[in-house]
Amino acid sequence: MQLYLNTYGTYLHVKDQLFEVRIPGEQKGAYVKKHFAAPKISSIVMTTAGSLSTDAIALALQHHIDLLFADRSGFPIGRVWHSKLGSTTLIRKRQLEASLDQRAVHFVTEWVGRKLEEQAALIKRLEKHRKQQRDSLLDTHERILKLRQSIAVMADQPTIDGIAESIRGIEGTAGRLYFKAISAALPTAHQFTGRSNRPATDAFNAFLNYGYGILYARVEKALLLAGLDPFVGFLHRDDYNQKSMVFDFIEPYRPAVDWTVFRLFSGKLVRQDHTRTVTNGVSLDKPGKELLIERLNQYLEVDRVRYRGRQQSRMNAMQQDAHRFANQLIDKV
Amino acid sequence: MIWWVLYDIENDRARSRVARYCKQAGLYRVQYSVFAGKMERDAVDSLHLQIEAEINPERDKVYFFPLAAKTVGQAILLGQAFDRKLVSGVAKTLLL
Repeated sequence: MQLYLNTYGTYLHVKDQLFEVRIPGEQKGAYVKKHFAAPKISSIVMTTAGSLSTDAIALALQHHIDLLFADRSGFPIGRVWHSKLGSTTLIRKRQLEASLDQRAVHFVTEWVGRKLEEQAALIKRLEKHRKQQRDSLLDTHERILKLRQSIAVMADQPTIDGIAESIRGIEGTAGRLYFKAISAALPTAHQFTGRSNRPATDAFNAFLNYGYGILYARVEKALLLAGLDPFVGFLHRDDYNQKSMVFDFIEPYRPAVDWTVFRLFSGKLVRQDHTRTVTNGVSLDKPGKELLIERLNQYLEVDRVRYRGRQQSRMNAMQQDAHRFANQLIDKV
Repeated sequence: MIWWVLYDIENDRARSRVARYCKQAGLYRVQYSVFAGKMERDAVDSLHLQIEAEINPERDKVYFFPLAAKTVGQAILLGQAFDRKLVSGVAKTLLL
């Protein structure tokens, strides 16, 4: 179970070997205490100002519970994780080597390719219930699949350096077509013009950014558990402290967030008090975060899908993918 | 398997220790002396032994009832009853 500490001034500490969460109540001085047994918790996410005792940190580390800190946009700032590096250093060495040779091309074209396939599939799903927009949606679907093909033909290029720009260009083109189609399928009040970030300029983008933030944290954890290094990416630039492998590996899973957010809007579940205006844009407020967290969690962690012969959650499938990637790096397929 | 632990324990100290063991086993406090939750067999064994060591077998009563999750799912819950999903361990996120 994941605990999200969303209330301002929450205090997490340990009592009788249990996590005790002390949440401020309505009146000053009044608070609610909740207890949780450590073995039942998988991660604790702090999304707003609160406090933590060192005993709570120690208890979490002992039970391999990750303590995650997220900023207001849901973007993970950092985590407290045990210092055992997990799995073998060999995987990380191979990952570093692979970033410089043909394997980087192989994996990047696979991941970006799958993202485009998922994007096209989402557009196809929209077409089912929107007869009037059928033609434009099918057209977008076709164009994204064509772009996916142009990525596929690059799969045997020798290094990523020569094709990085082209891949980014193709991704950008597909993304513009994709989000344009999504916007057109939304109720007029929520239609938007393209992606915006830091800050988002509309509610849809605000929800999307927060959702991606949640996904970044999950992907990072999946990579760590599989023994991979989140900082050694293949396509994304090796800028100072950039978790480039998270940004690479996450690509095929982004449309899962897109779909969840889309359904919140198309299902008219988004209210005025879910977002608020900030300088130059829009940000998610507590009720909005809670709605998104619940829905995303349902879609990613609870719903079962058939993947590789097993009924499992989407995030479990992603964890499997991370392990498979690690095994492929050390030729242990 | 969802285990329900119910007890009537006279001694205050023993009773609060038993409550603490149940909490530490990850059970949800349904009522003052009633706990419920998903437990693996070895956790049931440990808890049972911990509680046995605390009670006075001449005066106290403790029950461990196993119920299949499906049966618990058929339960009729009224008012401020617990969250079904939380107790059966299905709930994956808790927002506080």
